[in-house]
Amino acid sequence: MKGKRKFLLLLSGAGLLSVLFFAYLALAFPRERNSAFRHLEMPDELSDCASCHARVTPSVTADWKASKHGVLLVKCAVCHGDSSGKGSIPFAARPTQEEICFKCHEPAIKRMRARFGAAYDNCGVCHPRHQHPLHKKAFEFVSPSKTSL
Amino acid sequence: MSISRREFIKGTAAAIALSTLGSPLEAAFAASADGVETWVKGVCRYCGTGCGVMVGVRGGRAVAIKGDPNNHNRGLLCQKGNFLIPVIYAKDRITEPMIRKGGKNSPLEKVSWDEALDFAAGSFKKALQESGPASIAYYGSGQALTEESYLANKIWKAGFRSNNVDGNPRLCMASAVAGYLTTFGKDEPMGCYEDIDNATCFFIIGSNTSEAHPILFQRIANRKAGSANVKVIVADPRRTNTSQIADEHIFFKPGTDLALLNGMAHVIVKEEMDDPRFIARHVIFRDNDGKEMTYEDYKKFLEDYTPAKVQEITGIPAEQLTRAARMFGDSSAASLSLWCMGINQRTRGVWANNLIHNLHLITGKIGKKGSSPLSLTGQPNACGGVRDTGSLAHLLPAGRLVENEAHRNQVEDYWQVPRGTIAPKMGLHTVALFENMAAGAVKCVFIHCTNPAHTLPHLNKYTPALQKSFVAMTECFMDAETVKYADVVFPAAFWCETEGVYGCTERRYALISKAVEPMGNARPVVNILMDFARRAGVDSKLIPYNNAADIWEEWRNMSAGTPYNFQGMTRARLARESGLKWPCPTESHPGTNWRYVRGDDPLVPADHPAPISFYGSATGKANVFLRPYAPPFEPADKDYPFVLTTGRVIDQWHTATMTGKVPELHRAFPSAYVELNPQDAQKLDIRNGDQVMLETRRDKMSFPARLTETCMPGLVFTPFFDRNKLVNRLFHDAVDNASKEPEYKICACKVSKQA
Repeated sequence: MKGKRKFLLLLSGAGLLSVLFFAYLALAFPRERNSAFRHLEMPDELSDCASCHARVTPSVTADWKASKHGVLLVKCAVCHGDSSGKGSIPFAARPTQEEICFKCHEPAIKRMRARFGAAYDNCGVCHPRHQHPLHKKAFEFVSPSKTSL
Repeated sequence: MSISRREFIKGTAAAIALSTLGSPLEAAFAASADGVETWVKGVCRYCGTGCGVMVGVRGGRAVAIKGDPNNHNRGLLCQKGNFLIPVIYAKDRITEPMIRKGGKNSPLEKVSWDEALDFAAGSFKKALQESGPASIAYYGSGQALTEESYLANKIWKAGFRSNNVDGNPRLCMASAVAGYLTTFGKDEPMGCYEDIDNATCFFIIGSNTSEAHPILFQRIANRKAGSANVKVIVADPRRTNTSQIADEHIFFKPGTDLALLNGMAHVIVKEEMDDPRFIARHVIFRDNDGKEMTYEDYKKFLEDYTPAKVQEITGIPAEQLTRAARMFGDSSAASLSLWCMGINQRTRGVWANNLIHNLHLITGKIGKKGSSPLSLTGQPNACGGVRDTGSLAHLLPAGRLVENEAHRNQVEDYWQVPRGTIAPKMGLHTVALFENMAAGAVKCVFIHCTNPAHTLPHLNKYTPALQKSFVAMTECFMDAETVKYADVVFPAAFWCETEGVYGCTERRYALISKAVEPMGNARPVVNILMDFARRAGVDSKLIPYNNAADIWEEWRNMSAGTPYNFQGMTRARLARESGLKWPCPTESHPGTNWRYVRGDDPLVPADHPAPISFYGSATGKANVFLRPYAPPFEPADKDYPFVLTTGRVIDQWHTATMTGKVPELHRAFPSAYVELNPQDAQKLDIRNGDQVMLETRRDKMSFPARLTETCMPGLVFTPFFDRNKLVNRLFHDAVDNASKEPEYKICACKVSKQA
């Protein structure tokens, strides 16, 4: 009986340690920072994200450049955060509507919600963020598959 | 409570699995980011667009920001505004008063407020006693709150009896001020941002609106996207991002814009796109010396600016000049001119401003919706804070002049000081002020909210001035270059840590309400100024205020009866509304969109016989000046064959003491570079990223090269935000004769590849 208790104590100690270990990992290296790893090797370039992404994700970059956001110089970090992970918004491939889009477009989002309800709550379905050319229609329906980053 | 082994193992595994998915703390933080307790209304801290913001506060801490949907920006903010919150909590915020006890070479030491204030006041008192009022100066800022500038102006001009009150608007807006004054008799534009929604022809010259005023550019781009009939002309020796929406991009040799503007006037007159009826009723022609001329004299003067002749001077193809003039002058067009530092920061900046106004006056495209000459302001409160309060060496509040006795008497009476208190001679403008500091004539300077050790032209000449004089300064950030030269540093409450009014480009005043407490021991600047002034011997009766609201009350009432009348903007009303445009004489008045226009401007009588009245000028008419072409101070020559120019980039602001704290902004443009046309680069065997030496007659400096078609051949550009590359060391300090604004935009340089 005594041995069993000792075993249980040891086991709970090990369990606690492993919880602490993984909790540390999760806190020290949250998802944003893990994805930021890929960018940590990048030196401070002469330009911003777009100069490198013009090579690694050329179509996305070209879409952005031609879009309203591109023409208005709303650059990558404004919505996607900074790759160092030290910025004030998360470094994320898919920014959340509530956290990011709302910062600039809250009045429009509220108007749309009032008009169409929650069913049309994803702005990007009709206003694809990277494919919204300034010189074309201001409102254009694009199938959801095309809106993915 | 007992847990079985099986339950324990299951629980542990679940905890481990959860922790690898994402930390619970992270989730909690994300959730609490939405938990803003109050939203406090204010204005963005950066450019002269003056966007309304809402600061989200939770637990006494600013945690979020969004655009004010009721202000002109309609809820939108640019990236700089979007990332303002982290600036408040920057690690290098100055939170304690500091002094150098052992002279300039000793370190700054933290001291009590009393010790710092006594130290500064003692030095100023000594200078006043030994050398008189001309030996002290105030150097302010277009970023200071209106109440701060008004108070400093009053303390110096009526308290110390020194007119040495100037500030950084001298470096950016002075030519626009003198342009409006000479043409219309009073400063400040007559149009507003609503003109953007009504214009059908935009004439953008000397402005990279897209990077310097992003929210206005967004509004212009929206207007352009909404109608195929809207035309955009951009005239700039750099093809910046602004030209992405242009129908015509006009490249011209740097410094030849006076010829371009007279050339457009020539085409307008020649092709009878002028408005003789408007001209007869509202315009007086004047030569360079102000002598009255006739319209026929003006036409004769323009004969020197045929498109062919202008092509020789500027390099603009004659057909393109004609096309642009036709777009502007088309009888059905509503034409809006927008300009900024490319026009103002010139030795002929005032003339260039006059010539833009000319285009509107000869076509009658003024005072109608969408038609206006609208000068863009660089700083958030240069208009409201400095220009309107008269916080410059030659001005007094509400458009009055130091050298006009009647104006001085009006101000003295209002401030309840004996007549003769305000010195009759204007004080030292910025460049002269720093020259006098270097010469030892000005012994003490109080610098507020600006960073002259980074921003003055010909820095090698003027940094010794800061080394020689006693410098007291208010500052928020330790990395401001000027801190290196400060004898006393007062920690200032930053932006939403205090309250005050900002006045932007379109005569719009808006209140920044206090959202959070100042960091550490920082204090509102009005309190610092009053405490300092009392200790330096200024009569307490002159500054009987408890807070910024009291100062606003005085200034608001002082504006009554002047063309700046904003008596209707009480503090309570400003707190309620999202900005109001003056004139606004009563609390029930909605503010004025179109100044000088009957039916809109309350200062134009309802029964005025014409729809427009230029009441700012004694004649009731506006002046069209015959300003000839004049080259820049230092054009390119055989020894220095390139033209160097400087400017802003979208991600950084001024000297980057704020934007440099935001990783999302700073990493986009971490350091200065030189922009070169590939044709020039090829001749000099320079590749992208090579180190390039720029050499002018003042200094030389190396930068990494960026090859781009942005600059036209023969022109190189470098931004000025980088404190590790103080590019102003390269520039000369020649100033405009009238406005005393330096010519930052053009100097001759050599370009070579560094080994």
